[in-house]
Amino acid sequence: MKKETIIAIFLGLLFGGIVAVFISLKSKDIELSTNKVIAPSKEKILSPNLTGTEIQTLELSEPADNAIFEKDIIRFKGTAVEDSLIIIQSPIKDLVVKNTQGKFDLEFPLALGENSIKIVVYPKEKQFRPQEKFIKVYYIDSEL
Amino acid sequence: MKKLLQNIIILGYLATLLVGGVVAQTPSVDASSSPTVVDKDIQQLKDKIANKVSEIRKQNNKAVSGFVQSIDGNTMKLTNNGEVNQVKFDDTLTKVFKVLGTTKKEIKTDDIAKDDYAIVSGVVTDNTITANVVLIDENFLVDSGKITEINKESYNIKVLTSDKNTYSLDVETGTKQYMVNIKTLLRETIGFSKLKEGDTVHFVVKKTGKEKNNNYSAVKILIIPQEYFIK
Repeated sequence: MKKETIIAIFLGLLFGGIVAVFISLKSKDIELSTNKVIAPSKEKILSPNLTGTEIQTLELSEPADNAIFEKDIIRFKGTAVEDSLIIIQSPIKDLVVKNTQGKFDLEFPLALGENSIKIVVYPKEKQFRPQEKFIKVYYIDSEL
Repeated sequence: MKKLLQNIIILGYLATLLVGGVVAQTPSVDASSSPTVVDKDIQQLKDKIANKVSEIRKQNNKAVSGFVQSIDGNTMKLTNNGEVNQVKFDDTLTKVFKVLGTTKKEIKTDDIAKDDYAIVSGVVTDNTITANVVLIDENFLVDSGKITEINKESYNIKVLTSDKNTYSLDVETGTKQYMVNIKTLLRETIGFSKLKEGDTVHFVVKKTGKEKNNNYSAVKILIIPQEYFIK
């Protein structure tokens, strides 16, 4: 075989290969651009913006667990998620309030002796779980 | 010369005594002339000490509660959820009361019986609390959860709490039943027929320590209707 023929075959194969690779890449791009996206659009993903967000946890600064008081009225102070429903229950009182601000400062009566009190916060966004705290405080009259 | 020296020394000694005496007398004259200032200072000091003592007493003052496991003369043992507390009575200091609703009646330590629920306030030393006050009261349990089952024949509800405890509550004629109005958030009195499975319930029960299968007679229930959570 002549030398020119071999060079011609080699160049032909090389050109053919380049064309084949080019067509294959181009067809992939065309296929991707014509495909329909099944996943929700970016806007829809971002709009609720709740997954991954951290919710304000229930923090009770007053009263302390096992605290002793000489008065029969105390204040519950702390922070909870805004617009949540706060329920404070003891054997002598049920307090139901909407926490319009992040902070709360609520008056609560005590019975003589031991007071078992449960505080539950129900966040406005229903996908979040309620937060709970249980405390025991004592009202011992100073005159006793 | 020797005599002169002796005289000088004696004179010097006498002069020192004289001056020292005068100097020593000066404050006593001042003190007697303004007794109110000293009295005020002493009173202030007394008040400070009294405040400090009261502060230390308050710091060491603790309250414990539990069912009376044993009572013997001047000591008593309380148990509460596995925790044991030793209580010591002081004849001159300890006062014992029985709580009757909103009032109280003074009783003696001899009146305390086994299985009574006692609340003790006093100073803790070496894991023993010396009681200032002992209150004999009832033990209440306060919790909340979701109603999973309603038995309309036996007026009983099953409640599942967030810590996966299941309570069986008997709703009796004496049970106070309330529901939160989802619009006004005010508490309204209801009847047993208003309860629905899936509602959230906050409840108070009396604990005697002898209950079986987590079954209690409900003192009070407060319902948050499920509609509140789906609105």
